[in-house]
Amino acid sequence: MDIVRFEPSSNEGAGRALPVSSLSNFFDAGNALAAKQACRKKNALLHASSYDVEEGDLLELARAGGALVFSLSDILLEYGFRRAILISKMRLALGACRKRGTCFVFATLAKDASQVRSPRELSAFAAVLGTTDVERKEAEKNMARLAGWAAKPKGHLQSAHAKVPSALGTSPPSAKKVKK
Amino acid sequence: MKPTERFKRRYISFSLSLSGKPPTYQEAKEMVHSHFLSFFGESGVSSLAFKLVKYDVPSGRGILRCERSRADEAIFCMACLSSWKGAVARLEPLSTSGTIKRL
Repeated sequence: MDIVRFEPSSNEGAGRALPVSSLSNFFDAGNALAAKQACRKKNALLHASSYDVEEGDLLELARAGGALVFSLSDILLEYGFRRAILISKMRLALGACRKRGTCFVFATLAKDASQVRSPRELSAFAAVLGTTDVERKEAEKNMARLAGWAAKPKGHLQSAHAKVPSALGTSPPSAKKVKK
Repeated sequence: MKPTERFKRRYISFSLSLSGKPPTYQEAKEMVHSHFLSFFGESGVSSLAFKLVKYDVPSGRGILRCERSRADEAIFCMACLSSWKGAVARLEPLSTSGTIKRL
């Protein structure tokens, strides 16, 4: 699954790509203050274009069940030394996410069809940043969870978790919050 | 040198387009070489064991070779190509294999 900044038509992979406009929990943070505010929102997908997110904010983001978005289009727009600095910042941000237990997802955030990339390319992007196979699979699951959460109506999530039989032994973390 | 002592290879098939059309062989060669050199540097390209194996002009498809452990880096490098000499360019990886025959 991918997040893009335009409305994809059917031949541009509309089934796989979700436009940003359809995600109520997606936040673009241009500066540190905006990032701090977005981290407090529940299940937020935070895209900080500078990738200078403080560790305290990442901890808050982890507590709220959100994830940090790593965008491939940010790299496409830069060239040469600036691109190298951006990749380095992304690696540092990924390390901080690991340290604080914050979820992360990978998306293209393409502004037009020419910036859209295949899942294999996104996977290679994640691998270059230093993620393991397990982390990449986890990132895909997080993307499905958070993008799905934004697409569903709020009452739907509660009723779905209420139907989970207790005999299974484990219940989703959000279900526990509902019971409280 | 024994085959086991050589570097392990991966072949990546790709589709190349420049302003929506497949470029000529010379253009393709220059584009791919300059992009990989700019992305990895001279030392990086040497350790990557990079080589443009084949390029078919009418279809715009080709094959390049890289070192097995760095196939992800090569694919990411290909994904990073978005323009060349002011024109929209796309170097799209199609499939990866250990032999040219299986591509």
